[in-house]
Amino acid sequence: MSLPSFQLLRPKTIAEAVALLAEHDREVKIVAGGTDLLPSMKQKLFTPPYVLDLRGVSELRGIRDVAGQGVEIGALTTLSAIEHASIIRKDYSVLYEAVRTVASPVLRNMGTLGGNVCLDTRCLWYNQSLLWRKSCGFCLKKDGDLCHVAPGGKFCWAAFSGDTPPALLCLGAEIEIVSSHGVRRTPLSEFYVNDGIVRLRLAPNEIVTRVFLPASAAGWRGSYHKLRIRGSIDYPLAGVAVALKMNQDRVADARVAITAVNPAPHLVKDADAQLIGLAPDEGLAERIGEMAARTAKPLTTSALTPEYRREMVRVFTKRAVVACAN
Amino acid sequence: MTDFSIIGKPIAMVDAAGKTTGAGKYADDFKLPGMLIGKILHSPYPHARIKSIDTSGAKALDGVVAVITGEDAPNPYGILPVGHDETALAVGKVRYVGDHVACVAAISEEIAERALELIEIDYEPLPAWFDPEQSMKAEIDLIHENRPHNIEKDYHHVFGDPDKGFADADYVHEARYIANEVTHAAMEPHCTLANFELDPHTGKLGRLTVWSSTQVPYYLQHKLSLVLEMPMSQIRVIKPLVGGGFGGKSEIIPLEIIAAVAARAAKAPVKITYTREEVFWAHRGRPRTIIDLKTGVKNDGRVTSVACKVIQDGGAYCSYGVVTILYSGALLGALYDIPNIRYDGYRVLTNKPACGAMRGHGTVNVRFAFESQMDEIAAKLNLDPAAVRRINLLKPPTVTVNGLRVLSYGLPECIDQVITRSGWLERKGKLPKGHGLGMACSHYVSGAANSIIRSDMPHSTVNIKIDRDGGVVVYTGASEIGQGSDTMTAQVVAEVLGCDLARVKVIAADTDLTPIDLGSYSSRVTFMAGNAALRAAEEVKKNIVSAAAKRMNCPPEDVIMRNDHVYKRGVVPGDHDPTAAEILEEKDAPRGRVDGQILRGSVLQTRKEEGPKQHMSFEEAVVSAIDFHGALTGTGSYAPPAEARGGKHKGGGVGPSPAYSYSAQVAEVSVDEETGEVRVHKIWAAHDCGRALNPVAVEGQVIGSVWMGLGQALEEEMVWKDGLLMNPGMLEYRSPSSAESPDIECIIVESIDPEGPFGAKEAGEGSLAATIPAISNAICDAVGVRLRESPFTPERILAALRAKKGMKRIEMTESVDPTAPATFREHGGSLWFRGKGPLRDPLDPSRQPSRASAVLGGKQ
Ligand SMILES: Cc1cc2nc3c(=O)[nH]c(=O)nc-3n(C[C@H](O)[C@H](O)[C@H](O)COP(=O)(O)OP(=O)(O)OC[C@H]3O[C@@H](n4cnc5c(N)ncnc54)[C@H](O)[C@@H]3O)c2cc1C
Ligand code: SF4
Repeated sequence: MSLPSFQLLRPKTIAEAVALLAEHDREVKIVAGGTDLLPSMKQKLFTPPYVLDLRGVSELRGIRDVAGQGVEIGALTTLSAIEHASIIRKDYSVLYEAVRTVASPVLRNMGTLGGNVCLDTRCLWYNQSLLWRKSCGFCLKKDGDLCHVAPGGKFCWAAFSGDTPPALLCLGAEIEIVSSHGVRRTPLSEFYVNDGIVRLRLAPNEIVTRVFLPASAAGWRGSYHKLRIRGSIDYPLAGVAVALKMNQDRVADARVAITAVNPAPHLVKDADAQLIGLAPDEGLAERIGEMAARTAKPLTTSALTPEYRREMVRVFTKRAVVACAN
Repeated sequence: MTDFSIIGKPIAMVDAAGKTTGAGKYADDFKLPGMLIGKILHSPYPHARIKSIDTSGAKALDGVVAVITGEDAPNPYGILPVGHDETALAVGKVRYVGDHVACVAAISEEIAERALELIEIDYEPLPAWFDPEQSMKAEIDLIHENRPHNIEKDYHHVFGDPDKGFADADYVHEARYIANEVTHAAMEPHCTLANFELDPHTGKLGRLTVWSSTQVPYYLQHKLSLVLEMPMSQIRVIKPLVGGGFGGKSEIIPLEIIAAVAARAAKAPVKITYTREEVFWAHRGRPRTIIDLKTGVKNDGRVTSVACKVIQDGGAYCSYGVVTILYSGALLGALYDIPNIRYDGYRVLTNKPACGAMRGHGTVNVRFAFESQMDEIAAKLNLDPAAVRRINLLKPPTVTVNGLRVLSYGLPECIDQVITRSGWLERKGKLPKGHGLGMACSHYVSGAANSIIRSDMPHSTVNIKIDRDGGVVVYTGASEIGQGSDTMTAQVVAEVLGCDLARVKVIAADTDLTPIDLGSYSSRVTFMAGNAALRAAEEVKKNIVSAAAKRMNCPPEDVIMRNDHVYKRGVVPGDHDPTAAEILEEKDAPRGRVDGQILRGSVLQTRKEEGPKQHMSFEEAVVSAIDFHGALTGTGSYAPPAEARGGKHKGGGVGPSPAYSYSAQVAEVSVDEETGEVRVHKIWAAHDCGRALNPVAVEGQVIGSVWMGLGQALEEEMVWKDGLLMNPGMLEYRSPSSAESPDIECIIVESIDPEGPFGAKEAGEGSLAATIPAISNAICDAVGVRLRESPFTPERILAALRAKKGMKRIEMTESVDPTAPATFREHGGSLWFRGKGPLRDPLDPSRQPSRASAVLGGKQ
């Protein structure tokens, strides 16, 4: 399977990058580490005439502790760099736990945080070669007019399968987006669209430049539980992130987020309301687990059965809450 | 002789440096001037008639040199003489999604891929068969017209009196087991480079050279000759380094023939390398299998009778299928003493990629069923699983009821070893909640006693040439595929000749240079090519010894070749430290000058050496021998003895082997009862390999086998949806990663086989089959659920656990109960084929409304 041919654009600055994006608009795909985009290009899921390589833009790299404001992570920072940054491990443990589970060490050396946040949604009927998709029949997400997973509808259920976004959602992260029209900043929770095709509120000419972890979330206890078959390499088949701000043994603030079971990562609504003020025990953890399971709508987009994956969201949430509380 | 200098020592693989530095050359590393890249067009249909193919568009594309289709090479072939049902490219019909239809040879991969898009094919879809039990009922729309009911082959064997055996039993246990499909997933994808030379006299295409990632160069040469209608002598097959085969390269894979046909059409070298997805379509892995097993036992666990019905979902072509289904039955024997056996085996055709030989060929899935059932019986009769196995041991030398001769038999010691090392007696039943121990045994052939193509030719031949430089060149057709056959050959020869390993150069698997060897499959190489190498070396040695005897003025029996020197018995040179007792030992035999023996040594030597010598360097001895004999060469070959070739019944040729390896394993696992996830903490694996010629290599093979078994037990599964493979890649087809690989303690048991080279038997396959049931038995020990469907993925285990605890049912296993599976499970979702995609035949199972609505109803 060869990579389709394209012209590579290699800007050195953000300004150059956004100018190139504006120039080529819908004909260009951004590549950072390439660990998600390149396999998909080989499968001819994308055949862009231009590929814009961000790796020359050094201002996009690095983790900065900004006094009083929290931590900024450049979009091009590799997952390994985040994994090994002591500040992340100390202050944002849920992100530390999540980032360590992404793919494998080699892929984390290449993969970036921006790429992880902007990851394409995944589906067994979509992440396949051109030959496979031709044989099966194309689906809504690429070239087709129906969905194999839920054939009755006109909706794509491909699962968002990134590991760090649920952790970032728990931390109340925001992201900075730049285009030739300017800079905007948005909470990550408003970045995703629960639709396997639309996915992100990101225009083709925009770049995610930075991720902000607020100071207010520093020191929250965190736990990330990931369902996968192998101990490494695998994308999540379900993932649960829990972050609790503890005041003695009581919860002062809380967030619970799930991934890989919907077209977008989701914060579990009202989990905080249930937790705040209480000392979590098994029973409470169990209830939060059930709330999370109700938020999960897995379908046959991945390995293992949807019913099992949903059940694991329940179990993992319960465990993650208990792990944080103790 | 047990005092070896090279045999039995841990020795690094002779080809290790190239592999670890990247300097080693695999097929895909070869390039020739003017070489074209071949790309293959595959069928999008599981079953369809080809009405027409129009290649004109592809041919017109700039950079395309040739486009070939089935008509360019229509001769059928297949690895088995009874199964010549394949053609290089489809002729008239396609039989699975991924079947090979056309090939483009172009100046670049990208152009070739683009050209494929320009080939226009008019297909007429036919109803397809996906479930073997349905397929067996087929009356029309057969996959191959000459195979009624889509049954490739069925066998019905009765040995002893099974009915009486069951009548005599105190207890009879019966269950259905299902093993889902797995594939080899070798690291190197298949690759072939084919090149024709011009005939100097006619200017036309002459000899063909093929570099291919194959385990069987000789068979490839043979099938190429058949399809291309060329004499074998005009075809040279070279096997470069191979990055793993595991059976997936043990027959002719379509690209090997297609590359040659394309090179002929293009009049230029053509290289084809499969994509990983194409490797999955080419497949030849272990078929998904239904095993209905019934065992009768006495109250003490002694087996009185076994009845076994096996249905294998063989895919669209015969491949090794007839052999697989026979192995599945035959290898019920030779592990335990089973007095009565009934076996009904069905190899069924379906519209899926062809299954073939895979590590532990034929035995693995049935062994999973059998060893699970042993434990079920032990539980029922309240016996220790180890005791049930021990009471059923064979008493060799013996010939089993189904005609398998067993001489060396290290199974009892294997069982003892794993029981002791794992602390079985003390720990079993006393582990913390959710933890368990399980045991199982297995065995495998050390080469098939009968070759695929029945003939009296030797199975292996080895030539040796030694020249005045003292270099020992060994020519063997045996195929190094990573298992260490070159190293084994070098060790055997060096041991016999008493020379340094570094002197030995192995030239292997090049049909122009090396004598015929059947190839690397059925774990035959060490036993057969090893024996041939041993004999060749002994022949050469005889000539060196006779010349040396003359120079040292002693009888030939007193010449000892060791440590790269040639000694006279009893004479220990001062500046050496010979370790062999025999050099030191004086013999009473009369010694002294033998009259009339003036050596015709080289001028140089006669001048330098005065009188008879006491010892010589290896080179000196070689020079003397060449001077004396004119040349120093030797040949050895091996054919299995007639007594080992099995019974006379139909199909009795498969299963017999000159020797069997044995394995016993204990697995320690823990199960998370809330998630169904299993962790394998440790596996103790004892393997009887006769003599361990190279202990590190044996350990590597055993660990690799256990690891592969672990994959099949817990993670690996080809997931099908109406003939479409849902996971044709290494991301979704999950071979275990190092992260969840357990500690494996390999215990080598040496039973010293009377016929093996230095007593060696096989080490590469026999351990795999025990791992799967050992894990399943350990899971059952840990949490009390008996899984009869592999792999034991977490949702299967959780479903079983919830059912056992009487918890609310969650449909987690797509309607197949993993403790009592009735049919194969299909992936959920729905192929509607209403949208933008190929229109399938209305009779296709995927289009049948009942199923479609069931799927829909369940999912919405
Ligand atoms: C075998 C394998 C296993 C994997 N397992 C996991 C896993 O377990 N968990 C997991 O989360 N991921 C997994 N991945 C996916 C991937 O490796 C990671 O998500 C990685 O972080 C992606 O980053 P990247 O820089 O390589 O992305 P790229 O491939 O470069 O980009 C991914 C997408 O994001 C867009 N993009 C990238 N950067 C930006 C930016 N700054 N602004 C706007 N758009 C941008 C690209 O256009 C592209 O669409 C796996 C990948 C492979 C090949
Ligand atoms: S969910 Fe449906 S539409 Fe989306 S990728 Fe999968 S099959 Fe296609």
